[in-house]
Amino acid sequence: MMKQPEKGHKPVAHAAIALCLLGMFLTGTEAFSADTAYDDFDNQAKKRFAARRATPEIYTTADSGDRNLAGFYELRQYPGSPPRIPHPVDVTFSGNETDCLSCHGKGGYSAEFGKFVPVTPHPENTLCYQCHVPVVTEEPFVASNWQSMDPPRLGRSSLSSSPPTIPHSLQLRENCISCHTGPGAVAEIRVTHAARGDCRQCHVPAVEADGLSVFKRK
Amino acid sequence: MTIQLDRRRFILSAAATSAIASAGALFPGISFGGWPKVTGNSGLVSWQKAPCRFCGTGCGVLVGVMDGRAVAVKGDPNCSVNKGLCCVKGYHSVQALYGSDRLTTAKIRKNGEMVEVPIKEALDLVAEKLQETRDKHGKDSVAIYGSGQWTIPDGYVASKLFKGCLGTNNVEANARLCMASAVTGFMTSFGIDEPMGCYEDIDHANVFISWGNNMAEMHPVLFSRMLANRERRTNVKIIDFATRMTRSSQASDTSILFKPQTDLAVANAICHEIIANGWVNWNFVNEHVSFHKGKTNIGYGTEDHFAFTDQDEAISFEEYKKFLEDYTPEKVERISGVSARDIKYLAALYGDPALKVTSFWCMGMNQHTRGTWINNLVYNIHLLVGKISTPGNSPFSLTGQPSACGTVREVGTLTHALPHGVVMNEHDRQMAAEIWEVPVENIDPKPTYHTVEMFRALDRGDIKFIWIQVTNPMVTMPNLKRYRNGAMKDDRFIVVSDIYPTPTTDIADVILPAAMWIEQEGMFGNSERRTQHFAQILDPPGEAMSDTWQIIEVARRLGFEKQFPWSQDNYIEKIWEEYRRFHSGPKHEMASYKILTERSGVQWPFVGGKETRWRFNPEYDPACTNGKTFDFYGKKDNRAWIWARPYEPAAESPDSEYPFWLNTGRVIEHWHTGTMTRRIPVLHNAVPSSYVELHPEDAAQLGVVNGEKVKIISRRGDITMPVQINGRGVPPRGMVFVPFFDESYLINEVTLDAFCPISKQPDYKKCAVRLEKA
Repeated sequence: MMKQPEKGHKPVAHAAIALCLLGMFLTGTEAFSADTAYDDFDNQAKKRFAARRATPEIYTTADSGDRNLAGFYELRQYPGSPPRIPHPVDVTFSGNETDCLSCHGKGGYSAEFGKFVPVTPHPENTLCYQCHVPVVTEEPFVASNWQSMDPPRLGRSSLSSSPPTIPHSLQLRENCISCHTGPGAVAEIRVTHAARGDCRQCHVPAVEADGLSVFKRK
Repeated sequence: MTIQLDRRRFILSAAATSAIASAGALFPGISFGGWPKVTGNSGLVSWQKAPCRFCGTGCGVLVGVMDGRAVAVKGDPNCSVNKGLCCVKGYHSVQALYGSDRLTTAKIRKNGEMVEVPIKEALDLVAEKLQETRDKHGKDSVAIYGSGQWTIPDGYVASKLFKGCLGTNNVEANARLCMASAVTGFMTSFGIDEPMGCYEDIDHANVFISWGNNMAEMHPVLFSRMLANRERRTNVKIIDFATRMTRSSQASDTSILFKPQTDLAVANAICHEIIANGWVNWNFVNEHVSFHKGKTNIGYGTEDHFAFTDQDEAISFEEYKKFLEDYTPEKVERISGVSARDIKYLAALYGDPALKVTSFWCMGMNQHTRGTWINNLVYNIHLLVGKISTPGNSPFSLTGQPSACGTVREVGTLTHALPHGVVMNEHDRQMAAEIWEVPVENIDPKPTYHTVEMFRALDRGDIKFIWIQVTNPMVTMPNLKRYRNGAMKDDRFIVVSDIYPTPTTDIADVILPAAMWIEQEGMFGNSERRTQHFAQILDPPGEAMSDTWQIIEVARRLGFEKQFPWSQDNYIEKIWEEYRRFHSGPKHEMASYKILTERSGVQWPFVGGKETRWRFNPEYDPACTNGKTFDFYGKKDNRAWIWARPYEPAAESPDSEYPFWLNTGRVIEHWHTGTMTRRIPVLHNAVPSSYVELHPEDAAQLGVVNGEKVKIISRRGDITMPVQINGRGVPPRGMVFVPFFDESYLINEVTLDAFCPISKQPDYKKCAVRLEKA
């Protein structure tokens, strides 16, 4: 078993997360400050603003009901893993490196698939098949004992009326509006106020993380 | 007969049905399972750094650990290699730990059956058999065969035990099959191994020329970095120079196809053009280059006991120029199928003083019966124009395994090598004997067998005992049937350390369950001289044990407690600090254990707390002492060597009986023989089995359509497998390509065990086959 962290930064109540975060910075606990640095990615904020400006308001507010969270996680192996491709793709998968981005770059309605298209939060990465692969068979090679964590819970507000915190890493997902607004967005995580541009004004990252623990032989 | 739907038509029909398909079920008949959850989990994930387990890029990953299990992966933003981005293998790498058929107990063969035994008993038997074989048949009847996936400590203790204690140079590794030509290329051109440049070259170069390489699938993170640079900067071009169309070709600005083996001629033609057009950088050449030639008509090594030693002879520039007269673009066009115009275009890119050029290559140039030569020839181009050892100007030899450089090349787990230098050199033997605390007479000054010859010796019976760790030769050896039959002969004793059942464990007399990757502490060394430490993050399952510790256990049973005195608590640290002594000095200084544990990799030479980005350039490299702009200190004349190397044909070319080239390789989803990646659901579900790529017109002529089977027949064997036409790769007419990851289709029963006489690395890219509709 892994050693449990001895330092008191394991958040016991969600209301205390922000205080804990602040506390960790002040006490300079190296493990936790490293984690917050990984998950902050504020130097990438320009992506968020640029995407917001490039997207017509109607397109951030429309809703299609096409996607839900269960379907979203069905494509993944753990929270944050690159999703598989749920539709057929040409086997060359590379007639043009931006094939995928012609739909997933900006989103919109796909007549081919009869639904609204999810938008990638990182269109600057154009070698899509580097991380996203199709599904040719469901048969396993051998059975797997893979298990992972529960997806983060939604609506984790500190007070009943306060804005919820961001429960996931922002790495490769700095651009909030690509997933949280528009008709291609997952219904449960669509925001009700897409017209507001600066998401991080009210929503702060609060990724629960364990400290770095070095393996110790029993 | 079933109707074959081709992919495009399938998409159209799927689109038609999608109107009635509900969300999440677009692909009829396929639903997705999500993932099983750890019950009652704490929800708290600890993120810990490690280098990725797969290719030689050496991406930094952060492994999410919860309740003693690896549950997630992120790219490590602090790692300069990948800056937070991984590929699909890296993101799902931790799933390779959890295949349900993990080997967790040792097994030994009793009356023909494999039976489970406590690992102590298995280790006793290994030591006993090793001793017995050695006593009966001599010191060179026992061997160890490891891998570029050995951690640095794995390879180090293997070399110390076999070369230092047991006195045999029967130490080899599968990197012989992937990197040997790169090493001999470096040694002959520069006198010192491993690239002068680093991945930062990608952020400076204007032109990328990829030689026989499919980086989009094999080094995707580096390829993405090139694409990002092309996007960001206005003056960046990617040129794909290859023998078949790949995903890399499609993403490149220009794709130029050449006939297999003729890269030798084209490289010489580029040099011919550089000289003819006055693009030689004379300041550089006069100060830093000398000209040489070696033997020609050097053979192919297909016969047992083949031996070859090259002999260099200094020549003048004029003689070199005269040598190149055979390689005018017009003459080479006839050999290579590359138009004179394209050859001149490539030469102009290298020759333009305003452009920074980086060349990338990997298996295409290394798995080549003239692998050393083609490495030399690409260095020639860079040396003539002086585009080397400065940011963006870089002839860059990529590696395919996470520690091909770190373990095989730096520790020297090859028959001729030592952690510092070679067994033939008395000074190097003395150094090893002193650090290892063994009598210097223990270390045999004569190399024994390179990999192909080692398996031939096993077949002949010269080797009777072999211990195979972290590799799967019963899938990867060329001309496989001979070597499998040899290994299965009655009085051969085969020990295999691995994590899953494979065709190699199938022939084992002892199977030792191994710890995988982050279930042990260790270090890898990537393509750009970067040493990467990883801590033990997880418990290995059952009785699984690190390969290092398995070797230590056996060494102690053989009476070498003095040489292997370490405790399980800190053996990796102790081994590292001992090993580091071999590389002391500005040319190869390694970082301390403490620094390695703190950083996402450290590049050597690591001198005075500073990593060396570009070697041979005094602005960056503290080993430069000659006071000039560059110091090629690897060679005694302080110069880099340009070699006159001719074009010579492949060992076996298509003829009227066997009219097709057979080329083999990888796909992005799978790594090597697939023992890990096929147990990762996402990867297996994307590419569940191998296939043969065929040109559409060849397919039409054979009368086969997508998914139908053809029989591929060579002089050594045959295999029947499904055809892929217009898939992700399209070979030219007269060539077929087969990925080798699938143990159900052992393509290496068809390949040829010809090798480069200098590097002894086999050519998996070229042999002759014929096809029959199955």
